[in-house]
Amino acid sequence: AAEPWPENATLYQQLKGEQILLSDNAASLAVQAFLQMCNLPIKVVCRANAEYMSPSGKVPFIHVGNQVVSELGPIVQFVKAKGHSLSDGLDEVQKAEMKAYMELVNNMLLTAELYLQWCDEATVGEITHARYGSPYPWPLNHILAYQKQWEVKRKMKAIGWGNKTLDQVLEDVDQCCQALSQRLGTQPYFFN
Amino acid sequence: MAAPLELSCWGGGWGLPSVHSESLVVMAYAKFSGAPLKVNVIDNTWRGSRGDVPILTTEDNIVSQPAKILNFLRKQKYNADYELSAKQGADTLAYIALIEEKLLPAVLHTFWVESDNYFTVTKPWFASRIPFPLSLILPGRMSKGALNRILLTRGEPPLYHLREVEAQIYRDAKECLNLLSNRLGTSQFFFGDTPSTLDAYVFGFLAPLYKVRFPKVQLQEHLKQLSNLCRFCDDILNSYFRLSLGDG
Repeated sequence: AAEPWPENATLYQQLKGEQILLSDNAASLAVQAFLQMCNLPIKVVCRANAEYMSPSGKVPFIHVGNQVVSELGPIVQFVKAKGHSLSDGLDEVQKAEMKAYMELVNNMLLTAELYLQWCDEATVGEITHARYGSPYPWPLNHILAYQKQWEVKRKMKAIGWGNKTLDQVLEDVDQCCQALSQRLGTQPYFFN
Repeated sequence: MAAPLELSCWGGGWGLPSVHSESLVVMAYAKFSGAPLKVNVIDNTWRGSRGDVPILTTEDNIVSQPAKILNFLRKQKYNADYELSAKQGADTLAYIALIEEKLLPAVLHTFWVESDNYFTVTKPWFASRIPFPLSLILPGRMSKGALNRILLTRGEPPLYHLREVEAQIYRDAKECLNLLSNRLGTSQFFFGDTPSTLDAYVFGFLAPLYKVRFPKVQLQEHLKQLSNLCRFCDDILNSYFRLSLGDG
């Protein structure tokens, strides 16, 4: 952890043009933005099997030196261990608020995106299935897409979103965006 | 005048009006906002439904799930957040998300998944309030539901193993408790002197963890060290729930 940030750090995600879905793209952008804000150079590499390469099964993940770290939370911790942090100037109460708002975004927006991508029949048929399976030959593309859909539906059911209608989900997203808008107010960033 | 509002929920014990977090959230909110709620405690007769509790019934509506029930009460003009600013309302949503993401898995684990706790405390308690033969099935189903929820939201595919997840969820829960304690500080409630939705949620999740006597208590020990959170729970119990606990 005492080594400086190497020049050849890479971030892996799925193929940008044809394969990556909204929720994964969001996660990848978040990590890229974070690293840019810390002034740490990162190269973005697109691989069709990025999801399977990742140690936790989730994208994006970064390859730094000889370590591989996936998902925003662990990446932030990892970067902190190397001595770069964006939240040093916050006091305890602000840090608590920051974590709370991050959970709100995760809880509401990410779940809503997953719902829209995988549980709304129109979207699934037109966009998600086609994109998710695009790098693979038939019948693998269908099998993988259905498997992922089943997994996401199970998760939705477990957290109680299984019976939500599209309108209810959109209402929740609206509420969440309003909350974020209130918190931001007229400042350029959330906590300064 | 508003039609009578009836709430079906799990009953109380250990000094609490209910040991079920979601039921407690609704009961606390009703007390804070002054909603006249008739509480029907689920017992082991065959009256009333048991799934998806807490359930609010009025003359022409049946509402389940705490968030929807609170929304419904607000529409009926029972609003505990009347004096909050827009930013405080936003903070409420954020902190509720934090509790559901970080604290709820560990609370579910303590009650329903940790074998010592489940078999000695949770299962007998719930089974005694469910009519036979459902009492043989329903607690097991609730336990599986809790385990499922923990694994699906926290377990990393393709290995859905509990061991790896347990340490992480307790760490997250302890951090969440610390954050709540920092945020509460020395105030009486989270947003000043009057309780609001966030206070109802925090109370609902913390009070069972604080009061119920479990054999395996690591999270409870941690909570007891955060004296302002314990004081918060005790205050609400004493001010809002003392009358209904007259004979235990």
